[in-house]
Amino acid sequence: MISGMKTLERRARRAAAAGGLALAALATAGAQAAPALDLDRVMGQLAQVRSGEARFTEQRTVRGLDAPLTSSGTLSFAAPDRFTRQTLLPRPETMAVDGNTVVLSRGGRSRSLTLDAAPEVEAIVEAVRGTLTGNATRLRQHFRATVAGSVEQWTLDLVPIEPRLLVLLKQVTIVGRLGELRTVEMRMADGDRSMMVIEPLPAGAAGAAAPASR
Amino acid sequence: MSGAPAPLPGHDGPLTARQRAGRLLGWLLAMLLGGVLIVRGHYTADLSAFLPASPDTRQRLLIEQLQSGIAARTLLLGITGGDASARAEASRRLGTALRAGGDFEQVHNGDRAGWAGDATGQGGAGDWLVRHRYHLSPAVGPDRFTVAGLRDAVDETLSLLGTPAGALVKPLLERDPTGETQRIAEQLIPSGGPRSQDGVWVSRTAPRALLMLQTAASGADLDSQAAMLARVQKAFDQAVARAPALTGLALEMSGPPVFGVQSRARIEAEVHQLAIAGTVLMGVLLLLAFGSIPALVVAFLPVATGIVAGVVAVSLGFGAVHGMTLGFGSTLIGEAVDYAIYFLIQARGPAGSPRLGTGFRRWQRQSWPTVRLGLATSVCGFAALVFSGFPGLAQLGVFSLAGLLGAAAAARWVLPALMPDGAAGTGLRRPLGRATAWAAQRLPRLRALCWLAGAAALALLVAQRGTLWAGDMASLSPVPREAMALDAQLRADLSADEDRTLVVVPGADLQAALRAAEAVGARLEPLAADGRLAGYDSPARVLPSLATQQARLASLPTPAELQARLAQALAGGPLPAARLGAFVDEVDAARQLPLVDLAALAGSPLKSAADAMLVQRSAANGGGWLALLSLRPGARPIDTAELRTVLAAVPGAEVIDIKVELDRLYQRYLGEALWQSALGALAVVALLALALRSGRRLLAVCLPLALAVLTTLGLLAAAGVTLGILHLVGLLLVVAVGSNYALFFDQFGQAGAAPAGEGGAVARATHEDTLASLLLANLTTVGSFALISLSQIPALSAIGQVVAPGALLALLLSAAFVRARPAPAVVPPAPTPV
Repeated sequence: MISGMKTLERRARRAAAAGGLALAALATAGAQAAPALDLDRVMGQLAQVRSGEARFTEQRTVRGLDAPLTSSGTLSFAAPDRFTRQTLLPRPETMAVDGNTVVLSRGGRSRSLTLDAAPEVEAIVEAVRGTLTGNATRLRQHFRATVAGSVEQWTLDLVPIEPRLLVLLKQVTIVGRLGELRTVEMRMADGDRSMMVIEPLPAGAAGAAAPASR
Repeated sequence: MSGAPAPLPGHDGPLTARQRAGRLLGWLLAMLLGGVLIVRGHYTADLSAFLPASPDTRQRLLIEQLQSGIAARTLLLGITGGDASARAEASRRLGTALRAGGDFEQVHNGDRAGWAGDATGQGGAGDWLVRHRYHLSPAVGPDRFTVAGLRDAVDETLSLLGTPAGALVKPLLERDPTGETQRIAEQLIPSGGPRSQDGVWVSRTAPRALLMLQTAASGADLDSQAAMLARVQKAFDQAVARAPALTGLALEMSGPPVFGVQSRARIEAEVHQLAIAGTVLMGVLLLLAFGSIPALVVAFLPVATGIVAGVVAVSLGFGAVHGMTLGFGSTLIGEAVDYAIYFLIQARGPAGSPRLGTGFRRWQRQSWPTVRLGLATSVCGFAALVFSGFPGLAQLGVFSLAGLLGAAAAARWVLPALMPDGAAGTGLRRPLGRATAWAAQRLPRLRALCWLAGAAALALLVAQRGTLWAGDMASLSPVPREAMALDAQLRADLSADEDRTLVVVPGADLQAALRAAEAVGARLEPLAADGRLAGYDSPARVLPSLATQQARLASLPTPAELQARLAQALAGGPLPAARLGAFVDEVDAARQLPLVDLAALAGSPLKSAADAMLVQRSAANGGGWLALLSLRPGARPIDTAELRTVLAAVPGAEVIDIKVELDRLYQRYLGEALWQSALGALAVVALLALALRSGRRLLAVCLPLALAVLTTLGLLAAAGVTLGILHLVGLLLVVAVGSNYALFFDQFGQAGAAPAGEGGAVARATHEDTLASLLLANLTTVGSFALISLSQIPALSAIGQVVAPGALLALLLSAAFVRARPAPAVVPPAPTPV
């Protein structure tokens, strides 16, 4: 289990190094050395990327299970408020967020939920959507956010404000490079963890991989 | 109301003291009896009185849904003022207090401290759901417990672990690895729903916390609803009073219970205000005209009689009086006072009258036949409404009929007992009469202008014919526009929009209705799967039919079978079969549990969901049950024609688009009212033809009335008023009032110009008196209806808007089209009695 996580982290660093070069152009002039790193600065740099697609691999460690659970699929987002996570393996599952609505499809059933009617779901969505689109206001609405590292390689810690979410989710840690996300780690309140490693795809390349993103 | 004895035939002298006492006593007794009936009467304010008595199938289902569906028992609350956390705190406190009281079956404010926390299975509602998961989960079936089915179901459950949702699934993992509890919960979480903030529901658009309540009592009893609303307000006041941080918060209430109670209160208040304002206005006019307080008091007796007669007739005929009818009653004041005015002025003898106390005899000879004919035409007009298929409209008809008859009878029989020679004082009567006579002589010169106005009105009406009659059901409601606006806001905030599409399916009993709902659901699934529907809610999801539950339980494998299949399904996976002993035991235990019926749902969160979708029909509607499935449109609007085809095979299933059906209902209502008004108008013309026995006179009477109606409609159209059914009722009133004017002018036409000389002076004075009485009657009518047009109640103001200008036009046009005959006659011949 521990070794599995290590492998993932190594892959994450590799992916960051590879994709970083390719997309450094997109990350713009803001990347010049700057001393004080704060949330707005990181978000400003993320906000410049208006849309993107990526592959992800997720490994979840659940106490009581004999083995970690792994899944993979694609992510896509388009500013200001569209975000789709499509799990392809081991079983197809989609979470498509558009504005205030999220449509969850699993096991052949689709359900739509209104985000602001379920603040804990909204917060989880914002942890990823808000970060991807560089929306500091939305993040601050739901989390106490702290950043560390450099503009080139930053770490964003998010602690839920909503008490109902806090009993489920302790912390989200996002590691990114310039204007893109590399890993999203969630620590649940009961000790379970999930680590998602993101490998950005060149623009348009994921069209075939993530047909549901539009 | 004609409790008083008729005058002795052939008798020509004044009434004896005994006769006068007899008439007054008879009248007093009748009024007393009426008063008792009124006090003991029932009063309603729901819209159902304006729903048709003989609807088609879809309309009946819609009406049942409106009357006894959960919508009729839903109360919407808003908390405003203060800041968000204060509103949230007040919402939680109010929610707690209301749940503790017994008024409500359900109290929703977004506070999920209740059952959701129990979904882990520990005690209470959550535990009950978990134990009955194999009865209730739609996923349970033969395929579910095969090796492949088990693997798939467990994989799906595992896909939630290690996510934030995992904490909700994990406690049940070993008991419910196939996630049946999850499947049931999925169905209970609404897809829309209001915004949630600080743990309670709030508006998306305004600073407001929201609550939605379902009353335990039915919406029909206004007194208990009013008491319930008062308790809600008190609970709020108490919840807020205990915390200084919560000062400045206010409670808003809406929904059918509020409308019912407030409408009644508002109608009462407005009827009082209108009655007082109308009485003051008329009092001033009458005082100016008569210069006599006793005359003023006497003038109001027919008004009171008419109102009592109207309310009693409706109460006896319909069992309950609608608030709207009462409101309408205040409109009758302006017309009923006319009879008193005619009597009080016209019964007054000319100077040096031969015998005191006989003025009423002359009035009865000369004017009563005209008044009676006018009364008869009004009766014809309103009789059409009596036969309306809509109880509300029929009530207005009965009220008007009884009211007019009562008022006229009081003027005919009771007033002579009090003021046999009419009103004594002169006041401004003389100048009034002269001014009227002066105007009456000049008005005929303006006939061309009148024709022009009529033609212009006609042109305008033809041009606007498409959009003119665009009222809707709401225009019949006594609920003011602001209250409707608040209701619409709260509904939008709560996503409780009533304009939705329903599939309604009946069953001889509850189980038949549930089976039918399952049949409908099976046909809706494909539409939901390919996106034609975003989804649908069915009572059978919450409470499956016994047949379905039996089938589900029958598909459960024995413990040995289940163990064997589990071992196979989970081999090599992260969840070893050995840990699922509790699952095997509970599947076995489920087979021993009794099937779930409606009573078994009590206390579970499924109860309110089931209640909202199941309606027990009254015996009047054939008994049995209705299952309601509400549909959520996909990307495109729902194609009801396609739905009807899809559901054709399910007996009795009806697709109801509530907005469309309400509009259709209103159109039918309007069509019927138009048709009846036309019949009424025809009856009026026939009656006049019979009484006047002259085509020329008939034309002279009808022409000004028709022009008045036309010009009034034209004026309303020019003012951009959307016409509805109550405008139509107003037009009937215009004809009823105006026919009196037209007939009096017809009488003048017959009498011709007053001759010169001494006799001429007397005749002229009488003529001027009659003219004065007409003008006075008209001023009181126009004044009182102008007041009514200012009413907050849409239905009342509609009637006022029509009658005020209509009555004025009817008088002016009657004067303009008066037919003067060259040959003078001293005693005007009365029209042929009817």
